[in-house]
Amino acid sequence: MMDRMPAASSGPPTPAPGGAAAAAPDLAELLRRSARGDEHAFARLYDATSRRIYGLVLRIVRDPAMSEEVSQEVYLDVWRTSARFDATKGSALSWLMTIAHRAAVDRVRSSEASRRRDDAHAASTHDVAFDGTAEAAHISLESQRVRKALETLTEAQRSAVELAYLGGYTHTEVARLLDLPLGTAKTRIRDGLIRLRDTLGVPA
Amino acid sequence: MSPDLHHLSGAYSVDALDLDERTDFEHHLFVCASCQAEVRELSATAHALDSLVEHAPPASLRASVLAGIAQVRPLPPLVRDDVAEDAVAHHPGSTPPATPAPEVGPAPVGGEAGATTEGATVIPLFRRASTWLVAAAAAAVLAVGGVAWGPWSADQPTLTAVQQVEQAADATTVTQHTGQTMATLAYSRSRDQSALTVTGMPSLEQGEVYQLWYIGADGARSAGFLSAGADGNGSAVLEGSLTGADQVGVTVEPDGGSEQPTTQPVMVVKLA
Repeated sequence: MMDRMPAASSGPPTPAPGGAAAAAPDLAELLRRSARGDEHAFARLYDATSRRIYGLVLRIVRDPAMSEEVSQEVYLDVWRTSARFDATKGSALSWLMTIAHRAAVDRVRSSEASRRRDDAHAASTHDVAFDGTAEAAHISLESQRVRKALETLTEAQRSAVELAYLGGYTHTEVARLLDLPLGTAKTRIRDGLIRLRDTLGVPA
Repeated sequence: MSPDLHHLSGAYSVDALDLDERTDFEHHLFVCASCQAEVRELSATAHALDSLVEHAPPASLRASVLAGIAQVRPLPPLVRDDVAEDAVAHHPGSTPPATPAPEVGPAPVGGEAGATTEGATVIPLFRRASTWLVAAAAAAVLAVGGVAWGPWSADQPTLTAVQQVEQAADATTVTQHTGQTMATLAYSRSRDQSALTVTGMPSLEQGEVYQLWYIGADGARSAGFLSAGADGNGSAVLEGSLTGADQVGVTVEPDGGSEQPTTQPVMVVKLA
């Protein structure tokens, strides 16, 4: 595994992956202030991240009401645990999105989300690059860059990464959805992410 | 350690492991620096995909979030290298406040005696090596002394796991002083369990933990971890069976623990 470690990767905390908006506020600082009970700082944190968090949760959970509920829980958790954020272990944005993703995934897995499962395959597999819910005004530079990077993946890698991350499926489910031999989806996911990392230059 | 586990890093980074695999991998993560680095990178990479699915939330979300935080006290920062508490705080994947608490909820570990509500919910956070300790902590139901008052029952005191051992009908208690440290071991043959309560434990260096051992004719076997608070106080129910042990030892071990003790015990308590 050591060969996977980029030679110069053990540096200090790095900017948000892909960079949020150019003029994005310092999320880590907002978290620090939130930890001291500063509700205004938290409101700014919310404003800077809510499209991202709600968007990801909605993508996975699908049901708008449930997505709103999960997003609210995510923010309350972030507020409550803001003092535990450790900037030496990753960016604030990555920390927030990790919480949001896990919460959304846990919700769909726990709430017999069969309704979503029924129709999710086609949607999740094919429409990421042309997501009807993405507003044209927000086809950001960042998302263009990500789309370009996704094109460097093999079809199987791209589908596996998208189904897992944006679909919220387990690798076993991904294997079934893509007709891959059991056990190979996790390799595709990892290979795809590594390829993406190397293309995007996502900081360690 | 199965080499296969390395290949789960990608799936773990996107929450694509089932629960058993997640637990196994988190155990592995604890000892594998390269997987830790890889998970950090691949998680950050995956989050780049968020830009593809941004979506404006309904205005009602902002209102309810801001109203909600006004009623929630942020947890205090970690004031020391309290590994177990750190792990609890950093464990990803909770369903927040309404989580029905078990009869004996995982109480906050270390330094917060009496403050139980904040620790009752496991908070999702940055995934990192020590997350597996959550499982250990939950299994051992580490609890700070004092009656735990859970948020789930306003007027019913709940015995902590330590107290359940201490108050077992056949409980025996042994107290021992070692320098500034005082240790009280309570054990119950009927429950086949013991619980250790300490005060005045020396603070640990970063990357060290107190590991517990049942020691008997067959040698030492790990009995989990002891987390002392900033004040040097702490308690834990030992993992595993009391049977066959005639002493309980505590050693300082590297984060994640050791198969066998690697240092001289800082404390050994003989069972009566």
